Amino acid sequence: MKFTYRQDVDTVSEYSSFSAWKSARRGDRLSVIYGLVVVCVVLVSYVLGALKWLPHDPEAMDLDAMMAAPFTGSYLLGTDFMGRDMLTRLILGIQAYFLPGLLAVIISLGLGSLLGVLAGYRGGRAEGGVAYFSNLIDSLPRMVLMLLVIAAFRPDIYTIMLVFGITTAPTIAMLVKSKVLMLKERNFIESAVALGLSPAVIIFKHILWYNCRALLLIQATIGMAEAVLLETSLSYLGFGVQEPTPSWGNMVQAGANYLMQGNFWPSTAPAFAIMLTVLGFHLLGDGLNNIFEWKQSR
Amino acid sequence: MSQPIPEQPILEVRELRKHFANRRGLLGALSRDADSVIPAIDGVSFDLHENETLGLVGESGCGKTTTGKAILKLHDVTGGTIRYRGADITKQTQAQFRPLRRDIQMIFQDLDAALNPKVRIEDILREAILVREPDADKETVQRRVYELMDLVNLKKNKLANFPAELSGGEKRRIGIARVLAVRPKLIVADEPTSALDVSIQAQVINLMRDLQTQFGLSYLFISHDLQLVELMSHRVAVMYLGQIVEMGPAKEIAKTPRHPYTSILWSSIVEKRSKEIAEQGSAPAWGVFDFERPKGGCRFAPRCPVYAERGRPAICTDAVNPPTLKAAGEGRVVACHFPL
Amino acid sequence: MSEMTNPPLLRIEDLRTYFYSRVKRAFVRSVDGVDLEVLRGETLGIVGESGSGKSVTMLSAMGLVTTTPGVITGKVTFYGGETPQNLLEGLDAHVNVERRDGRIMQASKDNQAWQKQADQNLRDIRGGKISMIFQNPRAALNPFETVGKQIAESVRLHTGIKGAAEAKEKALYWLEQVRIDSPGMRYNNHPYGLSGGMSQRAMIAMALAAEPQMLIADEPTTGLDATIQARIVDLLDDLKARLGMTMVLISHDIGVISRLSDRIAVMYGGRVMETGPADDVLDEHADGHPYTRALLSSTPRPENVTASGHLPAIEGEVLDTINVPPGCRFKARCQRMNDAVRARCDSREPDMFEIAPGRRIRCWLYSPQ
Repeated sequence: MKFTYRQDVDTVSEYSSFSAWKSARRGDRLSVIYGLVVVCVVLVSYVLGALKWLPHDPEAMDLDAMMAAPFTGSYLLGTDFMGRDMLTRLILGIQAYFLPGLLAVIISLGLGSLLGVLAGYRGGRAEGGVAYFSNLIDSLPRMVLMLLVIAAFRPDIYTIMLVFGITTAPTIAMLVKSKVLMLKERNFIESAVALGLSPAVIIFKHILWYNCRALLLIQATIGMAEAVLLETSLSYLGFGVQEPTPSWGNMVQAGANYLMQGNFWPSTAPAFAIMLTVLGFHLLGDGLNNIFEWKQSR
Repeated sequence: MSQPIPEQPILEVRELRKHFANRRGLLGALSRDADSVIPAIDGVSFDLHENETLGLVGESGCGKTTTGKAILKLHDVTGGTIRYRGADITKQTQAQFRPLRRDIQMIFQDLDAALNPKVRIEDILREAILVREPDADKETVQRRVYELMDLVNLKKNKLANFPAELSGGEKRRIGIARVLAVRPKLIVADEPTSALDVSIQAQVINLMRDLQTQFGLSYLFISHDLQLVELMSHRVAVMYLGQIVEMGPAKEIAKTPRHPYTSILWSSIVEKRSKEIAEQGSAPAWGVFDFERPKGGCRFAPRCPVYAERGRPAICTDAVNPPTLKAAGEGRVVACHFPL
Repeated sequence: MSEMTNPPLLRIEDLRTYFYSRVKRAFVRSVDGVDLEVLRGETLGIVGESGSGKSVTMLSAMGLVTTTPGVITGKVTFYGGETPQNLLEGLDAHVNVERRDGRIMQASKDNQAWQKQADQNLRDIRGGKISMIFQNPRAALNPFETVGKQIAESVRLHTGIKGAAEAKEKALYWLEQVRIDSPGMRYNNHPYGLSGGMSQRAMIAMALAAEPQMLIADEPTTGLDATIQARIVDLLDDLKARLGMTMVLISHDIGVISRLSDRIAVMYGGRVMETGPADDVLDEHADGHPYTRALLSSTPRPENVTASGHLPAIEGEVLDTINVPPGCRFKARCQRMNDAVRARCDSREPDMFEIAPGRRIRCWLYSPQ
């Protein structure tokens, strides 16, 4: 198969015309666009839900239009098995996981980076200690741990997310540590020390910001996706948000009773919401990572 | 060339030692062996004066780069002392030493060393300037960036580029500009021209000379290019396996080497050899070698043609009486029992 | 050795090897129309800086350039077989080029098909009739096999000797020829047990064991210590004399080139700037290309330092083969341009002008007009 290469201009500009976005693959750009759309929708919905600017009252039951299909009357996404507007409930469902998920991500990234940098830069006993702690936490199956914590302490969703954040921190710590170790030996770290930069500046600016930000970003998106799944799973099992407050998980659960009757919408709509959102976060992280980890060879 | 000021040694190194622990495999770690240490530098002493360039030559493994890094405290020193302007810096912690780093800088062998590939050139230079003048405002910093680019003869449009977009010579100049931003007095230059094209090497050499005259810099010039060292340095120190075997004025060392190793080094310059061989008709032959670790005495003995010629005298391998640097006329020292 | 008496062993005509920068959307014209001849029994030294295309030229001739687009024009005739053979046979069938104002601006190439074709063309020649040694010996040696076995393999592949014992004998013979110490012991060493200089010798042994007609040495001494470099150069000189080998030596080190070459070709920015007998090309006082003259007087040697303490450096950067200017490639840095030739230097690239038999210079200063 013949490949064609063409040069259009006579002289090539010396100026840095390098744009990570323009040189990215189409698949990556689409992933990022889709992911950003999802993030925007989530954000907007969160704000709408917090301000209670909803199309319908989430608890108003329209007995005439039960389990209606989308675009029936004023119900853009139809209604659920009790005649409540699906769109409103979906929007409200975001309240259940958004802030808690954010908390989990911030804790896991913050704690993870700190431990990772400590282990990587200092080495020695700090590294040993962090490794011990990480292995300890990693050896516990997360879901089982969550359920145990819930059964024992019956905590609220924020506490659950706190524990979740702590349990995911070791993974991040290990990733950051290996990056730090790799970078520590690189010459520009040595020359940053020689220049007289303080270790704090070297770590936070050169290592974390310039070289780890892609890694941390991807972990943030993965973490958020995991948080969504965790919250919806817990609500599905009945441990999270309770009826009538909507959460995508408990909506799926409640709607499942009607699947046998052939009414798939009440259960499927929130399920799709979960799927599309989690997919969006993953694709965003993946796409951004591929775009920003551009290789030096041009 | 600038004139060194003999009365003020800016750097005094005495009996410097740096040992690296020999990382051995699982089985090796089980046995406690005294040999598990690599003495990269083993008793190095020299002075460097203001406005002077001291050349440091030797082959790979001789410890010249390690010496340079030890002076910058990028390696912890195992023994000996380093004095900068009279103050002992050997035992200082990194935090104590950091303010002094402005005075002592290094040009790294690797062209990419100083350049974080994800940072633009202007930001690299700005960071360096802020090390020296942390309170400078934006305009001052920008002005200083332009000054630095002029100093190293680089076009301003390179500022927005990333390191990967620069040529070798340009990267080297940025490395020099970054070092100059903190206004050092002493620069350790580790193979500053090795990775560069020949036509660019001359530019960088001229630049380094001009900077030395302009700012009164002192250089520790590490290189394996003997002719380059000869033309750049006032004095030259020749290292072999972690020790200085000869030191003296550059031209003298090149013309009349006193240590057998120095003689072999200088006679391996390929261009000179073509004329020698044409005259002599055959290549000087010396024994095949390997970097053996001699058990005691002179480290060069296994390779030394003088040792062989003299019938392997016992004093050369006498561990109690190793050759030390002794005066050999006109500011020269040689460490050899039978100097040429 | 003059061209009149020795027939060529390899002739490269109009070779072009381009690469493509996706980011800049332009061609990297690494080899941009190179003509070279290697005569039987001689050592041709190709000297140039980075970007000159010296390595890529020989790699292209051997079909070792796989990055697309790669070789797009050229004819490489090898006279070592019974009949002359074009090593780049069939290239035109797989390549289409389009020019604009005489410069290639578009190239279409079926690289997979071409690679297959090239491998076929070069099957018997690579390693057998033409051998290559490279800068990094460890890259050429298989780390999992002993050195001796690899040399013996080379013997069995490329010479008539098939028996294991005979091959081993030959391998030991070649290890001796490269003056490696204790050949018997080194035969059983793995590559990681050898130092830099010894690996280089082993690689030379492996290349020579195939008893090639021509040896291509690509930066064989770069990266080695000074004393070891000297000894490898001595070795190559010795082998030259004893075996009467034809050799192409590629290096940026003028010292090495001057010691070993009979003829020299100077390359800059993807083209050959001058060729001729070694003594003439390197003679600073004789006629020569401005680039070569400037290069020789700017090398960091104590003799070159002027009264002001400076080296006469060539200003400017080495040519970036993405942006090749119209006219002479060296014009931006040339010190010897004068008003008589300036107009031509700016607009048209000079041809190679033969100022003496076997002595050619690509510079308007030497054109007959």
